[in-house]
Amino acid sequence: MMARRTFGTKLAGGFGLTVVLTLLMGAASVAALNVAVHTKDKVISTATQGVTGAHRLATLAERRIGDYRAYLLNGSQQYLDLTNADRAQFLQEVAGLRTVLTDPTALALLDRAAAAEAEHAAALAPVIERRKTLTSLRNIAELNAAAVGPKRQQLEQAIAALVARTRTDVEAARKASSRTATQAIVVVCVLGVLAIASAALIAVRLSRGLRREVGAAVGHIQSSSAQLEAAAAQQASGGRDQASAMNEITTTISELLITSRQIADSAGRVSKIAEETLDAAQGGDATIDQTRQSIAAIRTQVDQIVQHMLALGEKSQQIGGIADLVSELAEQTNILAINATIEASGAGEWGRRFAVVAEEIRKLADRTAGSAKEIRALIEDVRGAVNTTVMATEIGAKAVDAGARQFDDATNSFRRIVQLVATTNESTREIELSTKQQTTAVEQVNVAASDTARVTRETEVSAVQTRQTASHLSSLSGELLDLVGTGRR
Amino acid sequence: MSPPADRAAAVSAKLVALRDEFDASFALPLRRHDDNQDELLTIRAGGRAYALRLSQTSGLFPDRPVTPLPGPLPALLGVAGFGGAITPVYDLAALLGHPVPNRPRWLVLAAGTPPLALAFHDLDGHVRVRSGAIVAEAQTGAGCVRGMVTLPGGTRPIVDVTAARAVVHRLAGQHRGDAAPHPTDVKERT
Repeated sequence: MMARRTFGTKLAGGFGLTVVLTLLMGAASVAALNVAVHTKDKVISTATQGVTGAHRLATLAERRIGDYRAYLLNGSQQYLDLTNADRAQFLQEVAGLRTVLTDPTALALLDRAAAAEAEHAAALAPVIERRKTLTSLRNIAELNAAAVGPKRQQLEQAIAALVARTRTDVEAARKASSRTATQAIVVVCVLGVLAIASAALIAVRLSRGLRREVGAAVGHIQSSSAQLEAAAAQQASGGRDQASAMNEITTTISELLITSRQIADSAGRVSKIAEETLDAAQGGDATIDQTRQSIAAIRTQVDQIVQHMLALGEKSQQIGGIADLVSELAEQTNILAINATIEASGAGEWGRRFAVVAEEIRKLADRTAGSAKEIRALIEDVRGAVNTTVMATEIGAKAVDAGARQFDDATNSFRRIVQLVATTNESTREIELSTKQQTTAVEQVNVAASDTARVTRETEVSAVQTRQTASHLSSLSGELLDLVGTGRR
Repeated sequence: MSPPADRAAAVSAKLVALRDEFDASFALPLRRHDDNQDELLTIRAGGRAYALRLSQTSGLFPDRPVTPLPGPLPALLGVAGFGGAITPVYDLAALLGHPVPNRPRWLVLAAGTPPLALAFHDLDGHVRVRSGAIVAEAQTGAGCVRGMVTLPGGTRPIVDVTAARAVVHRLAGQHRGDAAPHPTDVKERT
């Protein structure tokens, strides 16, 4: 826990502890002084009241003795009153002393003095009464005052013993108070020594802590200063590199600015071309409609061709049927000719002539059959050609349909192209606008880069200053280490 | 010129030639066939080429309805009517020993009695050949073929109708004596 406290906290703690000890020592001194004063006051009070009271008792006794002697001498009532007053004062003083005195011996002596005074008074009273009756001092012997003398001595002895006793008490109290004061002085001295020792200990500990912690901190500061110096040097070189890089950046940004302006011009030209493309595409839409109509007409024509070719095929079929009929007739003619030849062979000479005719007929029939066969072959060729043509035409029709579909696709694509061209036009305008904004931004970046280059140069300068400051701080740390007594590391 | 035009020109030329030949035929002197020539029918029976002497026939008919008859003879196709007479029809290919399943189209009526019709599949034509082109063969033997003839399409065996009639009679189980020629039988002409 102590290690985590700051040096200021430790310093405050040490000073606080010293202050507390000082306050404690002061309080103890005050208390000791108070005790000494109190005991001395008590001694003085005892001395003043006890010894003085005892002396006053002696004085009052002596004054009463003097007063009643004066009365006895001149019998004046004044002295009698004074004697009575003295006695009353004596008794009052005794009562006062009884409250003041604490020593039992002194109190016993006081009681004895009071008793002696009472006996003295009792012995004096008949004398005073007899004085009242005396008118002349020649009869002094009649007073018979011999008994008063011993009582008076006893009283004086008792008072003297009391005085001696009170003096003895005062002396004892003075010694006791002196002892008490001496004890208080010792206590104060001990506390003072303790406070000084603790202050010295705290000072030593604080000094050690100061040396240790401040030394370590200053050592850290020194190493950090060295690192800071190195970093500042590195920063300075980095600042130089950065400054050169910033110059390159500024140059590049200038080129970028030029390129950006060229892009903006190109974007403007592209925008114009896109608008022209859009116009051309919208013109192409009408052409597409015309082409679509042409394709529909071609489809109709192809259908008609197919119909005509099918009709041609049908006619060819009919011709083929007729050719078959001719062929059949030729065959029948041939058979008839053969049969005629057979019949003619049995008819003699005329039969032979008829056979010639029949042979001619048969030849004609053969030729007819051959021609019919050729017609048949031609018709087959025609039918094949018709079929081929129909198939080709149907393929053509399908191709036309496919072409129409592809043309529809192409039309859709073309219209989508028109839309895309419109979108491209808008995008190109946006690009143009963006490029202009970009040009403005690049100009701002150029300004900012110039500022940054300037700041970089300033940073380089400040890094150099920082390096110098770090070096200075390092030397200051060394001096501070010397100051705190740790020494240079 | 394109092929159709060539073909049309060829047809026109052929037409002109035919017309000229036909017209010229009226200017020719009357002629008759020489005696040393034979009239032959070139036929196909069972896919094979044969020849028939026209003089042994009395008529050629295509596509005549033949009414089948039940019987053990596969060669007997049935009967057909010719000039009010019921005539048995035999398959020439079966008689020649190589029957085929498809039905013959042509019928040739054999000369002589009793009436007999021979059926064959195809008629190639009617030819006249010199007698020297025919290699004759003796009129004996069990088969129908008697001799051969050399024609432009190749040499064909000649089916002798009389021998075929004899084969039919044998098949029908008639006595050989019954197979003697009818008095009214036409003599074979040369």
